[in-house]
Amino acid sequence: MKILLFVIFFLTSFSKFAFSDEHSDEQQIIAMGDIEYGEYLGAECAACHLQTGVSEGIPVINGIDAEVFVALMLAYRSKLMENPVMQMIAGRLDDEQIGSLALYFSKLDPPK
Amino acid sequence: MSKISRRAFTGIAAASAATLAFPSISLGAVPKVVVIGGGAGGATAARYIAKDSGGAVHVTLVEASKRYYTCFFSNIYLGGFRNYGSIGHNYYGLAVNQGVNVVHEWAVSVNAATKRVKLGSGNTISYDKLVVSPGIDLKYDSISGYSAAVQDQMPHAWKSGTQVQLLRNQVMNMKEGGTFVMVPPPNPYRCPPGPYERVSMIAHQFTQSNPTAKIVILDPKPKFSKQGLFEAGWQKHYPGMIEWISSEDHGGLKNVNASTMEFETDLDTFKADAACVVPAQKAGAIAMAAGVNNGDWCPIVPASMQSQADENIYVLGDASVAKSMPKSGFSANSQAKVAANHIRGALTGSKVFDARYSNTCWSLIAPDDDVKVGASYVAGAEAIDVESKFISQADDSSETRAANYQESIDWYNGITADMFS
Repeated sequence: MKILLFVIFFLTSFSKFAFSDEHSDEQQIIAMGDIEYGEYLGAECAACHLQTGVSEGIPVINGIDAEVFVALMLAYRSKLMENPVMQMIAGRLDDEQIGSLALYFSKLDPPK
Repeated sequence: MSKISRRAFTGIAAASAATLAFPSISLGAVPKVVVIGGGAGGATAARYIAKDSGGAVHVTLVEASKRYYTCFFSNIYLGGFRNYGSIGHNYYGLAVNQGVNVVHEWAVSVNAATKRVKLGSGNTISYDKLVVSPGIDLKYDSISGYSAAVQDQMPHAWKSGTQVQLLRNQVMNMKEGGTFVMVPPPNPYRCPPGPYERVSMIAHQFTQSNPTAKIVILDPKPKFSKQGLFEAGWQKHYPGMIEWISSEDHGGLKNVNASTMEFETDLDTFKADAACVVPAQKAGAIAMAAGVNNGDWCPIVPASMQSQADENIYVLGDASVAKSMPKSGFSANSQAKVAANHIRGALTGSKVFDARYSNTCWSLIAPDDDVKVGASYVAGAEAIDVESKFISQADDSSETRAANYQESIDWYNGITADMFS
């Protein structure tokens, strides 16, 4: 988990650093999102990701920070992060779809 | 819809579920969806239509069982890794949290012209849209000598419930050093890697309780799902215990005899001390009664899961012809979301998004040695087509295989919450 958090931190920091534009890559992708589309697309995630409670392996993603979500999905899409299921899921999401999912999941209440 | 009116609706629906009243009483112009079958397809469809419409659609789920035991993870139980109760689920969440009218009866017929479903009690329910998700029925006569009358001597255990517990009992009580015969079904069938995961789990159980036992697989097929991964796993964990005999080598199963426990093939006659015999399969009977089948299975429109025979009927999961998408709980859950989105759009005018499907099947070979295969799919003009796919690698690290098992447990918790909460 610590490694995962470091990777997320690294990716978000790096992309913020790499693009001189005042809006980061993640923010631009989030701006493309549509929350209703995100809700539809997010149903695919709910097949594995619990909506409440705790999970040892597959994380609960309700309430996740939108920029962290985008950074993670970009990392899976480019196969920087391992896990064949997530690489497959992220591999077919375009930026608008990732932004839509980020909007949707970031607006849900995190598990109590 | 406001929170107050949503709550009010839930109250009405919960009350009608409790009294088994029917929606014809006084729900006015609220459109009605009836879902037949409370498994991975039907429960998910009922839940998503009810949840996402916030009371704008009245949903009735017809499911005979009050407690649903998942087929997925029944092999994990057979291997001694879970108790049977842990794979049982009830429908309270759907009734109480989502306002689904849950009716525990058999659906016996469908009148597509008048859009009515007849129940075992003789009552009928009308629908605007019908979801048929009945799973499979077994074609007992596909194996000479096999029948429903002998299924307790040679359990198929291919529908969850007492058959699975019976099989576990027979595995545990098989004589020391005895032979277990497994007969997998011919294609297409529910859960392609299932028979081979089942063999793996029974082999694991034998290493604990009957280490000199043997397992013979008399396969009606010349190859099977994840074959390389399973065979390597069997060699590693159960050397000398499992013999897989291809249809090309045994020439076909000619007859089974439940009283002598003999399996006759061209190659030899095999004598078993315990057995699991899984015959060929077809869509559940209500799909036939609804007239949405073409032969054994039900053709669907890839973009919506609508029946090709009736645009007001959707067929989900094992009963449907999803072509490259395997018959699995994961597939049915994925298809249900596409259908739910389409049905809600048709009834309430909500936005309908493009169909997208996915599936992953995890199989446990031995403790902490779990392999997976998966794919994403899109709706083609003629069929549901593969977009991308993956499969576990022969040289995966033991950490990866152990992580796969943990992932499968998390998936189980996730999908059952996605179906029933």
